[in-house]
Amino acid sequence: MEIQNLTLEYPVPRKYRKENIEPSGIRDICLSVRKGEVLGIIGHNGSGKSTLLKLMAGVFPPDTGSIAIRGSVSLLAGVGVGFHKDLTGRENAYLYGALMGRTQEQIDNLINEIQQFAELKHHFDRPLRTYSSGMKSRLGISVATAFNPDLLLIDEVLGVGDASFREKSKLRVRKMIEKSGAVVIVSHSLGLLKEICDRIIVLENGKIVFKGDPVDAVEAYLQL
Amino acid sequence: MDSESEDVPLTPLWGKRSIVRLPFLVARDLFQSRSLLRLLVKRDLAGRYSRAYLGYAWAVLEPLLLAIVYTFLFTILLGADDPLYSVKIIIGIVGWQLFARSVTNSTRSISSSINLFQFARIPKTVFATSSALTNYVLALISLSCLIPFFYIHNLPISLHLFLVPFWLVLISFTGWAIGLMLAPLACKIPDVNNVVNFLVRAGFFLSPVMWTYDMFSKRFGEGWHSVLAHMNPTVVPITKMRDAILGESSSIPDYGYIMCFSLAIVAYTLGSIIFERKAHRAVVNV
Repeated sequence: MEIQNLTLEYPVPRKYRKENIEPSGIRDICLSVRKGEVLGIIGHNGSGKSTLLKLMAGVFPPDTGSIAIRGSVSLLAGVGVGFHKDLTGRENAYLYGALMGRTQEQIDNLINEIQQFAELKHHFDRPLRTYSSGMKSRLGISVATAFNPDLLLIDEVLGVGDASFREKSKLRVRKMIEKSGAVVIVSHSLGLLKEICDRIIVLENGKIVFKGDPVDAVEAYLQL
Repeated sequence: MDSESEDVPLTPLWGKRSIVRLPFLVARDLFQSRSLLRLLVKRDLAGRYSRAYLGYAWAVLEPLLLAIVYTFLFTILLGADDPLYSVKIIIGIVGWQLFARSVTNSTRSISSSINLFQFARIPKTVFATSSALTNYVLALISLSCLIPFFYIHNLPISLHLFLVPFWLVLISFTGWAIGLMLAPLACKIPDVNNVVNFLVRAGFFLSPVMWTYDMFSKRFGEGWHSVLAHMNPTVVPITKMRDAILGESSSIPDYGYIMCFSLAIVAYTLGSIIFERKAHRAVVNV
């Protein structure tokens, strides 16, 4: 993935316009993600991490600049987005796969794995409205992590389910990272990022203030 | 990993798309998303009447019950003497409901699916299209309430009946396209939805639901009133559906057909251009 001079600014709400507030967003980002690389993004709340990820996923259009990518990209954010209460777990899995741009055949090949990982057994063929919140989360993470794109973008999705399922999810995401072509991950878990990333960028007020070695990046972030 | 290799070309996520090509690109995107559309229609159909005991029977009962009320009002209270009046009303209601739902759902399509658009890169027209298709299927189901009337009034069963689904497609298509024009604005200014809802309700009386095209012609003739009436995209399709089902032939002038099809084409062209130009940014600014 190649990103050149990427800028996206959110409009300032009308009632604050007279106060000369600088619009939030990201400004003038230049970045490339290589095949096989795991890139971390850290920064304070509102620094533009999720915005950058959404731009990389192609769901937000930039104001200026360009993004180009080889192969497929998918964003792992918000577990259970797109699910419908009247569809069964199985139907929701197919719908989610289609939303991620997968073909019926690709989903057919993964559906048993999704069912097993979610530990839903016969509930998999019952409507989602009959699920407990834990079951919904399990289905969400199982479906979301089943597809391995060329570029995987992860935005803080590991905190769902009970403790044992969280551990299981972490392992699954790690496996997904191994199988995906390249990974960009946004997280506040600095320890996890130091462990898995090849490179980390630090964002502050929508700009890259540090780019490089994970240990140095975490240090730079802590000094902000 | 799916397929990454250095041989795969570097593709810009937001390439330049000329205005002239946008209507074709919208059609291409929708064709490529047909399996997603199928699932979404299935989801919408499952959700529509899933909690009701009578299920899809409501799709048939709704226009039937409304027709009973209107027929009572007009034949008994006002003394209308047309024995086929209730059939005409049912056809009008089904056609009008399809148009109204297609416009309003299409107008709301961005704001109601905003959470999905913020995480998946999918053509943003899919939700407007899936609800238009869902409403189309429901309209076809609703029309089955006419089956008893074929026996009661000895209505002709002819090849013209095959035109009914076509006119329904035209109604749904035009409503969907008008909604596409408004959807980005409705996402930015939610009041647009309220205005559309009001116009749709007011439009009920301006559409041939409780009146027929022949009633209109007899009263106003073929002057400028008629031109004005044909600016309503439901006039020709609803009238032609009545003709096809009742074996009648209404005197719609040639310019009526031209206006009806032109409106659909213009609405689609403008709708696809405005939607593609504005919808992506509208998702960011919510």
